[in-house]
Amino acid sequence: MKHLRTIAMLTAMSVAPTIWAQDAYVVGLSGVLTGPNADTYAPSIQAVTVYMEQLNKRGGINGKPVRLIVQDNQGNPSKAAADAKKFATQDNAILIVNIGLSSSFGPMVAEATRARIPLLFGGGACPLEVLPPNPHELQFCSASTEINSAGEMAMQFITELSREPVKLGIVAMAIPISRGAMDYADKVAPKYGVSVVRKETIPPATADYTASATALKSAEPNWVYSLAPWVTEVKSFEALRKLGWTGKFLGAALNPTEGELARVKDEGLYVLGPDAFFVENTPAHQEIREAVRNANITYPVTDLVEGWVAAMVIEQSLKGAAWPPTAEKVLASMSNLKVDTRGLRGGPIEWSKTNHIRSKQYYRIYHWNDKKRAVVRVKDWTAFDVK
Amino acid sequence: MPSTSGYFRVSYSDDIALLDTRTQKYSFAVFCALLLILPFVAKPVIIDLGSQVFLAAIGAVALMLLTGFAGQISLGHAGLMAAGAFTTGILFKEFAAPFWITLPAAACTGAVFGLVFGLPSLRLRGLYLAVSTLGLHFIVVYLGGEYETRRGLSSGILLDPPSLLGWSLTGGLAWYFVLLAFAAGAVIIAINLLRSKTGRAWRALRTNETVAEVMGINVAGHKLLAFVVSSTMTAVAGCLFAYYRSFVSIEAFSLFLSIQYIAMVIIGGTGSILGALLGALLVVLLPYIVEWATAASPWAQNASGRVFAANYAVFGVVMVLFLLFEPQGLVGIWRRIQNYFLLWPFRQTPMSGGR
Amino acid sequence: MQLLVNIIVLAAIYALISCGYVLIYRVSRVLNLAHGDLMVLGAYLLYTTASLFGGNPVMAVGMALLMGLVVGILVYVLLMRRMTGEMVLAAVLCTIALGVMLHGVTAFIWSGQVRYPIMELGWSNPSLTLFGDARISLASAVLIVTTAIVYVALFGFMGFTRWGIRMRAAGQNPLLASQRGIQLHVVYALAWGLSTFTAGIAGMLISLDSGLYGTMSMLGLKAFPAALVGGLDSLAGALIGSAIIAIAEVLLISYVNPLLTDVVPFAVLLVVLVVRPWGLFGSKEELDRV
Repeated sequence: MKHLRTIAMLTAMSVAPTIWAQDAYVVGLSGVLTGPNADTYAPSIQAVTVYMEQLNKRGGINGKPVRLIVQDNQGNPSKAAADAKKFATQDNAILIVNIGLSSSFGPMVAEATRARIPLLFGGGACPLEVLPPNPHELQFCSASTEINSAGEMAMQFITELSREPVKLGIVAMAIPISRGAMDYADKVAPKYGVSVVRKETIPPATADYTASATALKSAEPNWVYSLAPWVTEVKSFEALRKLGWTGKFLGAALNPTEGELARVKDEGLYVLGPDAFFVENTPAHQEIREAVRNANITYPVTDLVEGWVAAMVIEQSLKGAAWPPTAEKVLASMSNLKVDTRGLRGGPIEWSKTNHIRSKQYYRIYHWNDKKRAVVRVKDWTAFDVK
Repeated sequence: MPSTSGYFRVSYSDDIALLDTRTQKYSFAVFCALLLILPFVAKPVIIDLGSQVFLAAIGAVALMLLTGFAGQISLGHAGLMAAGAFTTGILFKEFAAPFWITLPAAACTGAVFGLVFGLPSLRLRGLYLAVSTLGLHFIVVYLGGEYETRRGLSSGILLDPPSLLGWSLTGGLAWYFVLLAFAAGAVIIAINLLRSKTGRAWRALRTNETVAEVMGINVAGHKLLAFVVSSTMTAVAGCLFAYYRSFVSIEAFSLFLSIQYIAMVIIGGTGSILGALLGALLVVLLPYIVEWATAASPWAQNASGRVFAANYAVFGVVMVLFLLFEPQGLVGIWRRIQNYFLLWPFRQTPMSGGR
Repeated sequence: MQLLVNIIVLAAIYALISCGYVLIYRVSRVLNLAHGDLMVLGAYLLYTTASLFGGNPVMAVGMALLMGLVVGILVYVLLMRRMTGEMVLAAVLCTIALGVMLHGVTAFIWSGQVRYPIMELGWSNPSLTLFGDARISLASAVLIVTTAIVYVALFGFMGFTRWGIRMRAAGQNPLLASQRGIQLHVVYALAWGLSTFTAGIAGMLISLDSGLYGTMSMLGLKAFPAALVGGLDSLAGALIGSAIIAIAEVLLISYVNPLLTDVVPFAVLLVVLVVRPWGLFGSKEELDRV
C-alpha cells in the first residue's frame, strides 16, 4: 500500500516534463544571472530572452518556435557543467550557449563535446579555441572581445595618446581569458616601447579591491590596462582613484560600461568598445530600444548590445537548420555563416570551417567627456585581422 | 524448520536479521524490484535525478551517523566532500591515476581530514564545535583554491570517466546502478555500525557524555571514530561526485552545500537512517519541484529569471517550517502514516491537551 | 601608513557587524547566523527608500533604519519566539535557514544587479587625505565615527538604562529574570531589533562606500569570528576581536597572499577555539549545551 504511493508519485513525475512539447528549436543557455559578475553577463542573457520572445511572436523560425532554456550558473564552473549536462541529456538541446565567466568554459566544452552539440560563446570574450586556422569543431564565438587584438589596440592607443614613456600596470581576474589577455599584453608591450611595471591578479569573488590597488599604486604606473569582467575593471579603477592615483586607465568595454562611464564621470577612464554604444544611435539601436519598451528587463537598455548580436547569430544559425532540426544540422549551418551586425559591431560576423570567430575585429574607444557631460567616442572603428 | 513470522525468534540469526516479518521481507523485495526496474521504464531525467539522490544519500547517511547518532554537529561537510573530490582530481591531474587508486586514496584522505575535524570535538561541544567545523570548512576550501591557482587551473580539473579493463563508466544507466550500489553499501555499513557496540557507544555519548564516560565507554576515542567513519564515507561520496560530474572545482563546495546536508539530516529526522534517505530525496528534488511549479504557474514568463533566487527562498522556508512544526522530520511524518495504517481501524486519538 | 588606515577601516566594519552577534548572544544565547543577510537586507532597504525619497536623503536613511528595526522585531516575533526553549542548535539552524531564505528573497526582489545607493541619495564619496600620503574615503571615515558612536551608545544603554539592565539580567539568568517580572519576550524582541538596527547601519555604510551586491553577506559571516574571538557575550571583546582579525587579515593579504582574505578570520577563530574557546573576554560558561 505504501509502495503504491511511491509508484503513483514516480509516474506523475515522469509525466510532468512531457507537458513541454518537443515541437520547437531547443536552445540551452547557461550563464551568470546572479552573483558578483552578473552585471557583465545578465543583460546579454535578458537581451537574448527578449529577442527570442519577439521572434516567436513573429512566427519563429520556419514557422516553429524557439524554446530557450535559461539556467543560472552563478559563475560557478561546477554548476555550468551540470547545466550543460542537463541540456544534453534532459532537454535534448540542439545548441548550447554560454554567456558567462571564462572559468565556466572548460566544463561546458567537455560536456558539449561528449554530446556533440555546438557551443556558442555569447558573452564577454572569446576563448582561444575559436581562432583560425584550426578552431575546435564545436566551439563558436559571437562575444564582443578577442583578447589578442584587444591587447594590440590597447598598446596602439596608449602610445598614441601618451606624451611621455608609458609605465604600464595590468590587472586581470584569475580566470583563463583575463589571464590570457594579461599575458598577451605583457608579451606585446615591448614592441610599442611600453614597460610593464606591475601585474595584479584578482580572485573571482573579491569584495575589497583596496589591497590590490595599494600594491598596484606602489609601482607607480601612469597607465593601467585591464581586460576582465567589468566589476574587476571598474572597482580596480575606483580603488586606485581613492588612493589618490592620477594616471589613466584603459579597460575593455563590456555590457554595463556605457552606463557606468556616466556614473564614474572620470575622464581618465577609457574603454575599448567592440560594440557600438547607444550614443551612436543607429537604427539598430532604436530597434533595441523599441523592443525592450514593454519587456521585462531589469538592466538599462545601454547594456543590451552584445546580447542582441548573440541573439541575431542564434537566429541565423537555427534558420540554416531545416526541420526537423538536429545538433548536426545546426553545426553545419554554423560552420558557414554570415551575420550582418547592422552597425552594432564594426563589421559582419563570418564563420567558416577555419574561423569560428570573425575575420576582422573592430574596436572604438570611448570615454566620459566632462565638458560635454556625456560619453564620447575618441577613436573610430579600427580593424585588426584575427589570426 | 518452518519459517517464523518474526514474532517468535528461535535462533540467533533470526534475532539479528534486518528484516523480521514476512511483510517486511515482501515490502523490501518489492521496493528493490522497483528501484532496479525504474531506469528501464523512466525518462533519462528521472534516472539522472535518481543518481543524484543516491549520491546525496551517501553524504546524508554519513552526516546522520555523525550528527544524528553521535551528536557531534558538523557544519564542515562540504569541506570533507571537497577533500575527497580534490584528492581524486589532484591524483588524476598529476599522476593520471585510475579510479581504483583514487577511490581508496580519497577514503584515506577523508579519514585523515576526519581526524583533524574531530580533534576540536575533544575540547568543545555543541555550538562551539559547530563553529570550529565551519572554520575548518573554510580552510579546506582555501587549500583547494590555492591548489587551483598555483597550478593555473582556475576553471577546475576535467576528469576522464573511470574505466576498468577497457569498459568506461559513462551513461546515465551505468551511473544509476553504480551509485545505487554505493548508496546501498553506505546504508548497510551504517545500519550494521549502529547495531554494534560502536553504535551503542555513540548513542550513549550523545545522550550524556559524563554518564557514558562513567560507564566505561572511551568517549574521546568514539568521538574521533565517529568523525573518521563519517568523513571517510563523505570523501568517497566526494570522489564519486568528481567522477560523476567529470569535473572538480572548488566553487561547488560552498557553505550552502554544507547547509543542504544539514537540512537533509534535520528535515529527514535526526537519529534515523531512513531519515537521511528521505531528507536526501527531498533536498535533491526541491529545486526541480520549484522549477516545475514556476514553469506550470501563470507567472512563468515573469519569474523565469528569478527561479534561481526562488530556490534559495523556498529551501529556507521549507527548512524553517520543518524546524518549527515538524521537529521529528520526514521520518516523524512517515511513522505517523505507518501508525495510521497499522492501527486501522483503531484510530489513535491523542488525549485532549496531551502531546 | 596606508596599511594602518586600511586596518582601522576593516576593524571598524567588523566591529560594527559583530556587535549585532554579541547583542543577541548575550541576551538570548542564540547565535544569529543570518546576521550577514540581515545586513544586506538593510542596505537594500536603503536603496529602495533612496529611490523613493530621492530628494530627501535624510528621510530615506531614517526610514531605512526604522524598517531595519521593525524587521528585527518581526523576525523575533514570527520566528525565533517559537524556538525559545528548544535546543540551542535548533535555534541556530533556524537562523541559518532564515539566512538562506533572506538571501533568496533579496535576490528575487532586487535581482543580482550591483546597486549604488549613494547615487540614489545624491551624495558623493570623495577621497580624503590623512597624515602622510594615506587616503581614506569619506564613507569609510563616516563608518569609523559611526562605529565609535554605536559602541558608546550600546555601552551606555546596556550599562545604565533600565531596559539595558533588564537585557543583561535576562542574559545572565533567564529564570530569575522572568521571576523578577522582566518580560523575556519583550527583552528578546528588543535585542533582535537592536541587532538588526546595527546590521542595517553597517550594511548601509558599506554599500555607500563600495556598492551593494548580494554576496556581501559573506562579510557578515567573516565578522563572526571577530565576535567569537573577543567573547560572544562581550561588547568590548567584539571591538578587540575585530581589531585582531583586521590586523591579521590586512597584513597577511598584503605580504603573503591575496587569496587568504576569506580564510584568515576562520584560521584565527580555530586557534582561539582550541586555546580559549570562550574568547578573550567572554564568560566561561558550560560548553556542553547542545
